[in-house]
Amino acid sequence: MKIALAQYSPVLGDIPRNLDSHLELSAKARRAGADLLVFPELSLSGYRLRDLVAETALDPRSSRTFASLREASRAVALVVGFVEESPLEKGLFYNSAAFLHKGSLLHVYRKVFLPNSGMFEEMRFFAPGRTFRSFPTPWGRAGLLICRDFLHLNAHYLLFADGAEIILAVSAAPGRGVGEENGFTSCRMWEGIGETVSRVTTSFVVYCNRVGIEDGAVFAGGSFVYDPFGRRVAQAPYFEPHLLLADLDPAAVRKARQALTLKRDDRPDITLANLERMIHRDAH
Amino acid sequence: MRINALFVEKILTGFIRGELAKRGFKKGILGLSGGLDSAVCAVLAARALGPKNTIALIMPYGRGFGPDLEDARDTARRLKIDARTIDIAPMVDAYFKRHPSGDLLLKGNKMARERMSILYDWSAREKALILGTSNKSELLIGYGTIHGDLACAVNPLGDLYKTQVRELALHLGLPERIRTKAPTAGLWAGQTDEEEIGLTYDVLDEILELLVEGRETAAEVAARGFPKKQVEKITGLIRRSEFKRQMPPIVKLSHRTIGHDFLYPLERGR
Repeated sequence: MKIALAQYSPVLGDIPRNLDSHLELSAKARRAGADLLVFPELSLSGYRLRDLVAETALDPRSSRTFASLREASRAVALVVGFVEESPLEKGLFYNSAAFLHKGSLLHVYRKVFLPNSGMFEEMRFFAPGRTFRSFPTPWGRAGLLICRDFLHLNAHYLLFADGAEIILAVSAAPGRGVGEENGFTSCRMWEGIGETVSRVTTSFVVYCNRVGIEDGAVFAGGSFVYDPFGRRVAQAPYFEPHLLLADLDPAAVRKARQALTLKRDDRPDITLANLERMIHRDAH
Repeated sequence: MRINALFVEKILTGFIRGELAKRGFKKGILGLSGGLDSAVCAVLAARALGPKNTIALIMPYGRGFGPDLEDARDTARRLKIDARTIDIAPMVDAYFKRHPSGDLLLKGNKMARERMSILYDWSAREKALILGTSNKSELLIGYGTIHGDLACAVNPLGDLYKTQVRELALHLGLPERIRTKAPTAGLWAGQTDEEEIGLTYDVLDEILELLVEGRETAAEVAARGFPKKQVEKITGLIRRSEFKRQMPPIVKLSHRTIGHDFLYPLERGR
């Protein structure tokens, strides 16, 4: 399969314009032969929304924006980032990502780990999700993560335990630290985790980060794809818009799991028993 | 402290270009003093926007700072940017004639605000956005005049220590004369930053980096061998200048108050 990563810069708070960009990039990805196009975190709304969160919230099941995206997903599957508000939970806003395929909404993931320190204030504006779940796609079981989730070991582990073969992480990660190397020093962190996680989960790791600057925060780009052997398949430049294309061989997961039997040997029961012991001990 | 100057240049020119575009401006304007920071900012603006879209105002006080005036003009000439010289002496002198003072700092602050007042006037005349030239070292210790040189619409240099601005200046090809001259706020003839602060920028930046980036306490920094008095002086300057780095607080009365819980991004819908 061919995957495309849209390392682009949305217009903050302008959903109609961002939808146009999504549709243009989908057409471009399709022309390049892509089966799946991944957009970054909050790709339909922009990131530093603050009180615009409520004004940009969408229900993926009823909104016209999503009707257009579902239509576009008939030609190329899409992962998009957006502010989610469901009619069942009015006034609760989630930082979500949706997987669309052949005109239907295959999966919606709500970001669990909302960063809320230093330059981040997501808990001030968003409600946290609670569920990590893998889901079937034509190219293997996939799991979605959003930005900070990627730094939490348990997020990766739960997707791995739930059978994910492709970890799709969408991000709006600001660059932090300038040293002597090209790119921000924080880029090394994401790349290091990408390599390690792809190796230890024997899964594909796809990381799509955005670019652009919002109120001084510089989104660093540098999107990448690692294969289930921990080898980097593709990487986009830092800071510049880019449509990154990569060929993934879904059979590689099987080979990697034969070579390194971490999935076969995993013991979620032991993990659970130990977590229960720790949680109950702490409760007393 | 070393930076990849090529990468930093790319970010900063992208920032200048993007900020102006988002706010509907084609042109940028800045005050050119003849010193390092404004020269670096001018090069970045010229590269980001093109020389035709970069305006420099050179605002000497009379003929007091001859060499700086020449350096500013030379920078503008070499960058082929539009430069205009406006002598601020008539305005400043008129004021102090009516309200005399022997306090050099008071006079210096008035001059800095006179320059910024002129910059905002030309910003409106030329439809050009004001680029700030304050670096991180100055901002942290509050070495600047509030509503004077600290004012601006966007600041490309505010997260670079002075020593990093020097490194960037070398990469941008600024002449040695400008890179090595003693930094001065230009508040009065013969003034230098380092004499007034009581430290060289090399030492100041090393200490600031430990305090800010390294999150070290004054005691931890002093334990590395820096004189305790110097470190405490710097922590004192940082603390006392917080007001120069923030919007004034608004007293909260209503349910939704600007700055407290009326929170919108600057770049809304742009």
